[in-house]
Amino acid sequence: MSSMEAIRESTAAEGLSPSASTKDFSTSRFISFRGPVLAMLGILALMVFLRMYQQMYAFSAGLDSTTPDFDKYWMGLLRVELVLLVSSWAALWSFLWFTRDRHLDKLQVKDEIRRYFHLIGFIFIYAFAVYFAASFFAEQDASWHQTVVRDTSFTPSHIVLFYGTMPFYVLFGVGSFLYAMTRLPKFASNISIPFLIAVVGPFLILPNLGYNEWGHAFWLMEEFFSAPLHWGFVVLGWSVLALGGLLIQISQHLIELFRRADAERGAYSA
Amino acid sequence: MSLKFADSDSVQLYGITWSKWSASLSRMFDFIVAVIVFLAVTSAVHLNFMLLAGDWDFWVDWKDREYWVTLTPIVGIMFPAALQYLFWEKFRLPFGATFAMVALVFGAWMARVFAFHEWSGFPYSLIWPATMIPGALVLDTVLLLTGNFLATAIFGGMGFALIFFAGNWPMLAIYHLPLQVMNSLVSVADYIGYAFTRTATPEYLRFVERGTLRTFGGHSEVVASFFSAFVCVLMYLAWWFIGMLLSTVFTVPNKFKTMMGLKAEPRQKSESLAV
Repeated sequence: MSSMEAIRESTAAEGLSPSASTKDFSTSRFISFRGPVLAMLGILALMVFLRMYQQMYAFSAGLDSTTPDFDKYWMGLLRVELVLLVSSWAALWSFLWFTRDRHLDKLQVKDEIRRYFHLIGFIFIYAFAVYFAASFFAEQDASWHQTVVRDTSFTPSHIVLFYGTMPFYVLFGVGSFLYAMTRLPKFASNISIPFLIAVVGPFLILPNLGYNEWGHAFWLMEEFFSAPLHWGFVVLGWSVLALGGLLIQISQHLIELFRRADAERGAYSA
Repeated sequence: MSLKFADSDSVQLYGITWSKWSASLSRMFDFIVAVIVFLAVTSAVHLNFMLLAGDWDFWVDWKDREYWVTLTPIVGIMFPAALQYLFWEKFRLPFGATFAMVALVFGAWMARVFAFHEWSGFPYSLIWPATMIPGALVLDTVLLLTGNFLATAIFGGMGFALIFFAGNWPMLAIYHLPLQVMNSLVSVADYIGYAFTRTATPEYLRFVERGTLRTFGGHSEVVASFFSAFVCVLMYLAWWFIGMLLSTVFTVPNKFKTMMGLKAEPRQKSESLAV
């Protein structure tokens, strides 16, 4: 059986008419930029706020962890971050799990395509959040700790980088994985290893912080940003390359869905 | 059997007929993916580079003739090689290396402006990042012309390292002018390093002033470049295959499927498992 015959058979099996109206297939019904753009602007506003907060209170209240001002401005920010981030993990991941689609075998082609574009929007937000953690605030950490001697693990740089932006991207990484697993048939029936690596690798940077902080406390390593103590982050950062495997996988799925959707629209003939 | 559309509703892409609707969605997909890839590559390349060779890039007085020239291309070529596999082998896009190095320069400059300069107060003359874009152009050109990863590793990888010092020399030359400070001969770069206090970072002279590193003649950077070129060839090969590994689609059956309320796959018979 050729691939097109298989498509026609599966289309017929789903009760889809090859001559279905095309009015439901406008591209705007499948791609909405509103959600990702709003989320991106929200994240950008949050990151600008955190950077301005550092500018205002890092040198004025962040140099001595024993002072009342440090407790007020920096430990206060840390407590707020931890409560909000853990709550947001619980809220988003629970929402995705409890609203999962239990009838994926009945999913229409056009709905599946729409969900793929939602997934891509989710991954876009994940990548945007990762940028601030892995690039912007990560190198900023060098500019602070190679200039100012630390007397605590909870420095003005770390409170934003390690306990702010890193748990924040985990929210979207795990969220995008859960979205795919609970709403897309191919990701529900088989776990994608590239996707898993691209989410779990950056997530493991969080527990690696324990080693990092232990090493800094034990060896007082400030002089050398490229020190072996930091290489755990390096290896875990390589996992971002697995997004390439995920891109190939999503492309394969979408090509198949586009062919099926074209068939559904009655745009083929024998 | 192939799809056939009316001319007004079809488009040919790489010899395959698609409806304009599919082609339009596909192009939107490309656009979103391009932005995602830029963000992801910036994050990964920058993190990798700053934690393996960052110190030499942060400070101008660390841009020496030996360690900087040796280490930077060796670390710099890792992601370009992996991305060349993904871009070239999967999408026939001949700019994986240049894309990676442009992303690195973007990420580095964002941090130098908003962190090193605006927050920690260092002048740009002390903290400008190096560029590896010239070497990346060589790497992409060799891959485009040869279409062969081994030739790219040997000729492109060597070119990537050999052009590094020359590519940065226009920015660096003035910092090598000599100065006399407190009866010592130092370079302009060294003096800038002394003048701006980095409480937790040594000025580079304290870090490298051992053995004969700085007593070699003017050929230090040439020797360093060729050594770096040799390692870059090996590093390119290793990272081409890492790119291949991480661009491969692997899946395993989802053991949580029934827990998710979905139908389980039919159990395979023992006879089929035994084959």
